[in-house]
This record gives sequence, structure tokens and C-alpha cells, in this order.
Amino acid sequence: MKLSRVLPAAIFFALLLTLPLWLRDAYLQQIVFRVVIFAILGIAWNLVGGYAGQLSLGHVAYFGIGAYSVALFHEHFGLNPWLGTLLGVVLACLAALLIGSLTFRLRGPYFVLSTIAAAEILRLLALNLSFTHGAIGMTAPSLFAEPYGDLKTYYATLPLLGVAFAAAVYTHRSRFGYYLRAIRENEDTAMAVGVNPALEKLKALLVSAVLVAAAGALYAGVFQFIGPDSVLTVDLSVQMALIAMLGGAATVWGPIIGAVVLTVAAEGLKAYLERAHLLFYGLLLVLVVLFLPGGLVSISKQRWFRRAAPRAQVT
Amino acid sequence: MAPLLQLKHVVKRFGGLVATHDVSFDVEENEVVFIIGPNGAGKTTLFNLISGYLTADSGEILYRGQNLVGMKPYQTTRLGIGRTFQIVKPLPSLTVRENVMLGSFLHARSRTEATRKADEVLTFLGLEKRADHLASGLPLAQRKLLEVARALATGAKLLLLDEVMAGLNPTESAEVVSLLKRLKDFGVSAVGGVEHIMRVVMALATRVVVMDQGAKLAEGPPQTVVHDPRVVEAYLGSKFSQGGAKS
Repeated sequence: MKLSRVLPAAIFFALLLTLPLWLRDAYLQQIVFRVVIFAILGIAWNLVGGYAGQLSLGHVAYFGIGAYSVALFHEHFGLNPWLGTLLGVVLACLAALLIGSLTFRLRGPYFVLSTIAAAEILRLLALNLSFTHGAIGMTAPSLFAEPYGDLKTYYATLPLLGVAFAAAVYTHRSRFGYYLRAIRENEDTAMAVGVNPALEKLKALLVSAVLVAAAGALYAGVFQFIGPDSVLTVDLSVQMALIAMLGGAATVWGPIIGAVVLTVAAEGLKAYLERAHLLFYGLLLVLVVLFLPGGLVSISKQRWFRRAAPRAQVT
Repeated sequence: MAPLLQLKHVVKRFGGLVATHDVSFDVEENEVVFIIGPNGAGKTTLFNLISGYLTADSGEILYRGQNLVGMKPYQTTRLGIGRTFQIVKPLPSLTVRENVMLGSFLHARSRTEATRKADEVLTFLGLEKRADHLASGLPLAQRKLLEVARALATGAKLLLLDEVMAGLNPTESAEVVSLLKRLKDFGVSAVGGVEHIMRVVMALATRVVVMDQGAKLAEGPPQTVVHDPRVVEAYLGSKFSQGGAKS
């Protein structure tokens, strides 16, 4: 029983670690790298949007803070990208404390709108401030020197995915995760079992912001060029939510499956549809919400998974 | 020894409406007190005031001598006050055991400890066979018990049970009341709110507080209270107040 829980994770990480051995094509490796980044973002969003049920559409704020920190601290203070990443994570925490304490007071659609507004404020700042070079964007230092710079970066993102995955497993099984789910269902009930909803939501947002900011910093180090329209766009916030919900909100594997499906599908369709692949996102989301509200992971639960584990049957 | 819970001249207004008017009563350790009163008498308001979902405008609510007025609901829970809700809301995607664990996590240091405490409470309430079922599949009577289980699992010493009998048939409510009787074995006192003076309440409550239109009308042992002319009048109208009441 314990093995069946550990095995999928072991295989998954073994495949990722040995990637250069079985996947030589640089383009395909690039896609896997994107899957890993999006999986981290999806997992991070899932803590707040899935478990705690707080549908944030402003998570790009933390991504942008991470990415811009690397570029800004390098350009203005000559710091290396690793220090920039660290400072980016710290700044994202501060931003999460501020944004969280303001937006978590609001419920439902008002909360969603306020998170979008918070992220938009950052985008407009980046667009209009002189030291961020506005719409022109900034260049970020690369994390690793050639040769094999891309491969080294890939191996630098895997530990972050590992940390994100561990956070997801912990959240799923621990008191913290149960409290978040209680908050999602009903804050009054949550308080009746001794939960301080404001505090638990803020904790979830902090963990989430750390992961997203670190991913943003890695993104900057890889693509070496960032701008308000690449690392602070609301599209990216929507994608994080989409990945988690498509795969399965409030599940460990949902965001990973969502990241694989969405990234592969987007890459495949880009060749034929150019920007119309966004249309595909929308269609996919509508289909999943209508027919698979539990996300893609719930397919397995509906068929063979239930036979394997009949404990949770409804009577 | 000081009473477990003391209400002293508690007042709560909603705009011009006085929902709780100068209510005072005590609950001793190991007591099962029932607050009875017609719909709108102020029972739920009273529970919300004690557990911190509402803040009293004046008066004092003392739990073991500590004033609860101004505390948040999660703070009163941590002090040892558990409550159930009139409209039961278990987490449907979790099993019965996991729902109870939400409560036992409060004082458990590990998941294992929380599970053990949850199973203990489930066995006490006779729900152990349902432990692995999804909470969404439970019938109403058992969902009400699940609410009690979750509150008990927090380690509550005082349970506030809002309309635990509503929607239950006489057999089911008799079962629930006899369970409440056994709360003493758990070292738990209870305050229940019900709409009607039912036979089961009469037989098992140590004391009854009668509420009408936000004010305390009468208080005492159930047999005495039921013959109080003011109580009979509130329930049946002045015409019957000479004769005495049965139900």
C-alpha cells in the first residue's frame, strides 16, 4: 500500500532525472523543461486555488517579482542571478503578505478581481517605471555558462519541482491541508474546529508565492529576456489556474498531469493554429468543467482506481 | 466551584430588533441544559454569541471565569467550546473519519494521533462502521451525529448543539438524546437548543431554559418548567394557561 503511493513519484522523478539519456532532441527537451516549470506553477497555485479554494488570478505577480528581481538586482547592483533569485523569493513573500492580507478579506468574485488588480498594478509599474525599462523589458543574466547551459538549468529546476511536489504531498496529508479544505468548504465550520482562516490562507499563499517566484527567477535565467508582457501578463495567471483545474484541483498529481497535457497540446497546436491555441484552452476547460469536475485525474478514480480502493464508496 | 458557563445580562441588538434581551443563566459541569423556545426566540443567536460568531452588545459570557465577549470563534473552540450548526455541513469529499479528524487535529500532534482520537469519538457515537464512507452519503440523522463527533473531537468540554433534533424522527431523536446523556462519561457538558418540549427532552435534560422573543421566560427542572403558566401561554396561548400542558 505504501509502495503504490511512492512508486508513481519514484518513476516520475527517475524519468525526469534521466531525460538527456532517452530524449536527445533539443526541441523536445525544451518542451519538457516547460512542462516542469508549468508543473511547479500549477502545484503552487493549487495550494491556494485548489486546497484552500481561493481562486487567485493574480499569481503572475509573484512570478514577475521573481523574474524581475534577477534582472533588476543584476543590472543595478551587479548581483549574481542566484542572489537575485533569493531576494526575489523574499520580496515575493512580502508581496504575498501584503496582497494576501488585503484580498483575503474579500469573497468570491470580489476576491478574484482584487487578485487580478494586484497583479495588474505590478504590470503597470513595470511598464511605466524607468528602471525597469518599460515595455522594452530587461535582460537577465544566464544562470549557467555554456557549454550545456540549458541542461544545467534543467537540472536546477528539478529540485524546485521536488520541493513543490513535497509541499503538495505534505498539504494533501497533513493537518494544514485538511484545514485548507475546511476553509474552502465553509469558513464557519473551519472556525468551529479551531481554525483561524485568515492565518491558514496566508500560510498557503506564502508557500505558493515562494515556489512561483523561484520559478519566475529560473524562467528569467533561462530566457534571459523578460518584459511586462511575458512575466507579468494575466494570461500566465489564467494558465496556472487552468493547469491545476484541468488536471484536478486539490490533488497531488492534478497540476502535473495538467501541465503535461496543456504544454504538449499547446506546442502541438501552435504549428497549425498560431495564437488560436488559446481557443483550445478555453474549449478544454469548458469540457472538463462540464464532464469531469474533478479534473483529468478523476478519470482514474471513476474506473479501475475505485475497484482497487473500494473504501471510499458511497452508500 | 464556579459554573462552567455563565451568562450575565447578555444583550444583542440587530438594528432596532433586540434578539437577546438581558439573558442570564448558568451551566454547571456535567449538565445537559436544553434551551427551548419557538422559532425566532433567540436560541441560535445565543449559541452564536457564546461561540463567538456574534459579539454581545453588553453583558458578560464567562467560560470558567474567562470572558468570551469579543473572542473569535476559533478562539472559543480552542478554549473548549464545541458547537454544531443547525444546517449540517460536512466536507462531502472527505470520509466520515476525516471529517472528525478536522476536529481532533486541534490537539493532536500527529496524523496517527488525530486518527486514533477520531475513531474513539466515532465509536462512542456508534458511527465507527461508517468511518470509511464519504460524508456526503450519510443520512441526515448520522450527519447530525457527525457534527457532534467533530465538535467532540476538538476536545470540547462544553458542547453547543443547535437544533440537533430538527428533522429527526422520534426514534432518532431519542437515540441522540440518550447519547447526549452519556456525554458525562466524556467529561462533557452540553447545551442543546430545541424548538419543542419533547418527551425525550423532558426525561433527560437536567435543566431547561425557556426563551421567548429574545428574553428568558423561565428556567428550572423540566417538570417544573412545563407547568409554568408563562411557558404554557407562550406555547399554546393564554386560553390554555390555566389547565397545564402535556407535549
